[in-house]
Amino acid sequence: MDAVVVTGIGVISPVGIGKEEFWKGLIEGRDGIKEIAAFDTTPFRSKKGALVKGFNPKAFIPLLKIRRLDRASQFAIAASRMALEDACITIRKDVTPERAGIILGCGFGGVANAEAFHRGQVLRGPGDLNPILFPNTVPNAAASHTSIDLGIKGPNSTVVQSFCTAEAAVLFGCQQLRAHKADVIVTGGVDELSPILYRGWDALRLTAWDAGDGERSAPYDLKRNGFVPGEGAGIMILEREADALRRNVRIYGKIRSFSTAGGAAYPGDKVARIISGALKRGGMETIDFIDSAANSSPLLDAVEAEGLKRVLPDRCCDIPLSALKSMLGEGIASGGVRMAADLLILERGVIPPTINYEYPDPCCGLRIVTEGLHASVKTILHMGISLDGTYMVILVGRGDGVS
Amino acid sequence: LIREREMKDKKKKVVITGMGIICATGGTKGEFLASLRDGRQGIRGVTLFDCSGYPSQFAAQIEEYDPLVFFDKRELRRLSRVDQFVLIAAQEALADAELNRDGGHTGVCLGVGAGGMLSAEIYHRQLLGGKRPRPSLLLPFVPSYAADRLAERYHLQGPKTTITTACSSSATAIAYGAELIRGGEADVMVCGGGEALSELTFGGFCSLKVMDPLPCRPFDARRQGLSLGEGAAVLILEGKERAMGRGARIYGELLGYSLGGEAFHITAPEETGTEEARIMREALRDAGIRPEEVDYINAHGTGTILNDQVETLAIKEVWRKEAYQLPISSVKSMVGHCLGAAGGVEAVASLLAMRHHFIPPTAGFEQGDEICDLDYVPQKREAEIEIVLSNSFAFGGNCTTLIFGKEDR
Repeated sequence: MDAVVVTGIGVISPVGIGKEEFWKGLIEGRDGIKEIAAFDTTPFRSKKGALVKGFNPKAFIPLLKIRRLDRASQFAIAASRMALEDACITIRKDVTPERAGIILGCGFGGVANAEAFHRGQVLRGPGDLNPILFPNTVPNAAASHTSIDLGIKGPNSTVVQSFCTAEAAVLFGCQQLRAHKADVIVTGGVDELSPILYRGWDALRLTAWDAGDGERSAPYDLKRNGFVPGEGAGIMILEREADALRRNVRIYGKIRSFSTAGGAAYPGDKVARIISGALKRGGMETIDFIDSAANSSPLLDAVEAEGLKRVLPDRCCDIPLSALKSMLGEGIASGGVRMAADLLILERGVIPPTINYEYPDPCCGLRIVTEGLHASVKTILHMGISLDGTYMVILVGRGDGVS
Repeated sequence: LIREREMKDKKKKVVITGMGIICATGGTKGEFLASLRDGRQGIRGVTLFDCSGYPSQFAAQIEEYDPLVFFDKRELRRLSRVDQFVLIAAQEALADAELNRDGGHTGVCLGVGAGGMLSAEIYHRQLLGGKRPRPSLLLPFVPSYAADRLAERYHLQGPKTTITTACSSSATAIAYGAELIRGGEADVMVCGGGEALSELTFGGFCSLKVMDPLPCRPFDARRQGLSLGEGAAVLILEGKERAMGRGARIYGELLGYSLGGEAFHITAPEETGTEEARIMREALRDAGIRPEEVDYINAHGTGTILNDQVETLAIKEVWRKEAYQLPISSVKSMVGHCLGAAGGVEAVASLLAMRHHFIPPTAGFEQGDEICDLDYVPQKREAEIEIVLSNSFAFGGNCTTLIFGKEDR
């Protein structure tokens, strides 16, 4: 089976825009979570979000087009452009449009438009509807606008799989490469945090709030009480290893294996099963770093810890683990941004910290990194957990054959 | 082509061993089959919500539907209309495949459009009216909700993905499901999709002025747009060897597929049909067959002026003179455009047509026009079909073509 490697990354995140600014933010332990000023949060219990700050779409997209694009589409276009540039790929020049594909995970892109459109229906009635809004209510708008902007004509799809949305997209992208349906795949995740989505999370009582210790994203902290909604885009360029070697470009890392689970089994069991499945399929003996899915929700973090302890009983207290959602917040497709972080960690040998880890939860018992840690990282276990039923891990390794 | 065929022979073959469906013209596979044979139209006045102010009041709504026949009250609180349809179709498909849960690794891949929009609309309407709506109405809003409930209900442990490319979602879900089997990620995949009517999609298509004020008439000269539909279709995919080994009934094989992007416009298709023709050609190449081997095209055929024209042009580009001998029909003329479920519904229709030796008609088609001058099968027709090509084209230029063949051809 062909190995799939990552040759480019593009990131728009709450801690920084662009690969270098993002990396700087991560290793500094920059908190991307702020009091929300972009919309009114007075009706809500939660007040904070991990919004992207200082994003200037004009740097990436012609002015006339910008107005017609929702925020998720703008993020997707900008991050895809950065990733392709990083991979030294120009569509048409380095790859024919039909052999380049885009498989994007999209978390609630278009929801702001859907809300605005439906508000018009309810308040003004059917006589006065805005036809510009409707086409941009579909989740595939971001991938489609990106394909139009970049001239990508190969396999084109959008997936949503709860909090494992980006991971599911990466798996789909790898599969299209292995089936030789394309030579280059743009993949990853994009999230847009709209007021209506924030309202929804708040109404479902899933988000962090100030119960006396401040409103924080505090994975594995004893006083965690929910996640902080976030947004951004983490885009990667995937190629078959042989093609990347032929092009003689930088290889950030290799997708070594995937493992997925669903169904109604006990969550801790599923976490354990996917980890052991990924290790077996990846032929891996060691893991150098665990990119945790912990998002500060009381149950999810506990489930992850339980699964890790079950499958790596002797080792999990030695393997460094960091929960990047402490800085980035949670978006259902934020696995894309975390994967971009994984690849930079492999390249640069520094593990970013978990912030807000103040009152360790005794039941977790993991080696949580709280200060930037220099370490030679060859293999990363990337966790994806969605408590409503999807469990997915990706084993990412260095692309240089060291591991 | 010979090389493609050789490659094809080496690839693991994926077959369909179970199907389930619920839509306006049938609550089971048997009812749906009968309606397809008769060319029965399910497009009527909408009663699910008030659409009196819109230019159209028609859709293929599932009528006389009582969810309590299928679910208890407690379960229903967590399920939106689309989730219910998906679970009903999945139950039929799983029973039809007689899987017996024989230890295989089973995954789920569904396509959805608006998902739990109908429930979210109730929430939103109450909110705008100053009330305090029940938050759990929002739970089904995440598009992957139906796939999660399906996997949970039947303890399906394998890979799970929800495709959200509007009108091509469930066709892509079938293609991807097959690839997950070929790649060894799963032994069995439960694929397909679901859609429920909602005010948003209804008003949305009206705002784009692509809704026919009358029941839709695909390819007809008098067509004015589409009619929406709803329902769910679920297909059970597995490796051919596995299916033969357990003596399963095989409806057909997924011979090939293509999913591509037009990279042209967010709503309009590329108007000469070149892009759609490219997608169909790629699917033919993937299947390792020549165009003339196709016996029937199950068209996207929405009934909009532009779609039917462009799809016809694309067919003419690929088949040239042969296009006039090729039967083409749109089941959307009967079940409406089921958006996220459309590709699945049409896959079931294609496989039933193959198995029962007939071509579903384009109901209501009377007279084509200058461009739409092919054989759109206005009346039901008996025919031997060995290979069907089914098109699904979506907003954003997301095009998917599936090709099914008889497994013993």
